[in-house]
Amino acid sequence: MAVVLLAAGLVLSCSQSDEKLPILSRREAVTKVVDGKSVTDSVYQTIPDFAFVSQYGDTVTAKAIANKIYVADFFFTSCPTICPKMKVQLKRVYETFKGNPDVMLLSHTIDPAHDSVAVLREFADNLGVSGRQWLFVTGDRETIYDIGQNSYMVTAQQDSSAPGGVVHSGAFILVDKQRHIRGIYDGTTQEGVDKLMNDINRLLAEYKS
Amino acid sequence: MTIRLGLYATLAGLLTLASCQSDEEIKRQKYITEGILLYKSNCANCHQADGKGVAALYPPLAGSDYLANKDKVICLIKYGLNGPIVVNGKRYNRPMPAQLQLSDLEVAEITTYIYNEWGKETGLTSVTAVTPILKACETNAQQNPAPASAP
Repeated sequence: MAVVLLAAGLVLSCSQSDEKLPILSRREAVTKVVDGKSVTDSVYQTIPDFAFVSQYGDTVTAKAIANKIYVADFFFTSCPTICPKMKVQLKRVYETFKGNPDVMLLSHTIDPAHDSVAVLREFADNLGVSGRQWLFVTGDRETIYDIGQNSYMVTAQQDSSAPGGVVHSGAFILVDKQRHIRGIYDGTTQEGVDKLMNDINRLLAEYKS
Repeated sequence: MTIRLGLYATLAGLLTLASCQSDEEIKRQKYITEGILLYKSNCANCHQADGKGVAALYPPLAGSDYLANKDKVICLIKYGLNGPIVVNGKRYNRPMPAQLQLSDLEVAEITTYIYNEWGKETGLTSVTAVTPILKACETNAQQNPAPASAP
C-alpha cells in the first residue's frame, strides 16, 4: 500500500513539476512599429506599478516585489466572515515560506477608512507577523478596488447588505517575477491553500531551471 | 406476592427514571447537534472549529478561563463585545460583532455546545435559563452597542 502510494506520489510530482503553471493574465493588443510597419501583437497584462502604505507606515511600490513571486489578497481587519479564515490560511503560507527571499505576501485592505497604518500594524502583530515578508497595505480606496478588479481580477465591490459590509472573493492570487498572474486559489479552504503552496514551489522551481 | 409487586414497582420506577434521563439526554444531544452547526457558521471563523482562537487576534474558548463568566458569555454571543478583555492572562482587543439574528434558543444551543466541549459541563443550558440573562443584557447592549463590523 505504502509503495503504491509512494509510486503514485512520484508520478504525480513528476507530471506536476514537468508542467509549467499557466499564465492567467489577460492578453492585450499592443501595436508597435517594426521596420517602418505597424505590427499588432498580443502580450500578457502585467500587474501595474502601485504605491500603497504598509503597516510600518512606509510607501510600498512594485520595487518591494521586484524579483519576487508573491501572493496578493484583499481583506479588512474588522471582517467577521471570510477574512479570519483567509488570514489563518495565509499564515500557513507565511510559516511555510518564512525567510525565503523569493516569496512575499501582500494583503490589501479594502476598508482603508478604518484600516489605518496603526490598525494594520496591530493586526499584523496580533497575528504573529513581523518583518517585511508579509506586508499589509492601505491606500486610496478607489485605487485599491481598481487594482483588485482590473489587475488581480478579483471581486472587491462594496455591498452594504452583506455581513461585514463588503463582499469579496476570498481569493489568493499568485504572481510571478514578471508580474503575471499564475494562479488563483480559494483562500478560505485548506485544500485551496495546499494547492497554492504546491504551486509556489512549482513556480520557484521554474526560476531555478 | 407482595415481594413480586414491590419488584414490579421498583422496575417500573427505574424504567420511568431511565426514560426521564434519556429524554433529558436526547434534548441535550439535540442542543449540541444544533449548537455545533451554529458554532461553525457563527463563531468558528474567528475562534476556529477546535476553539483555539487565532494567535493574539481572537481568544480561545478551549481551556479559556473566560468561560467562568457564563452570563457574560451568553450575552456576548448575541450582543457582541467591544474593548479589551483578558483571557488566560493575555489581552485581546478586537471587537466581536453582534449576532442579533440569533434566537434565544440558538444562543442556548451554542452555549450548551461550548460548555460541553470546552467548559467541562455535561448538562444543557436551556432556553428558559438563557432568556432572562439575554433580557437583562439587552438593555445594557442598547445603551452600549457593539460597533458595526461594516466599514
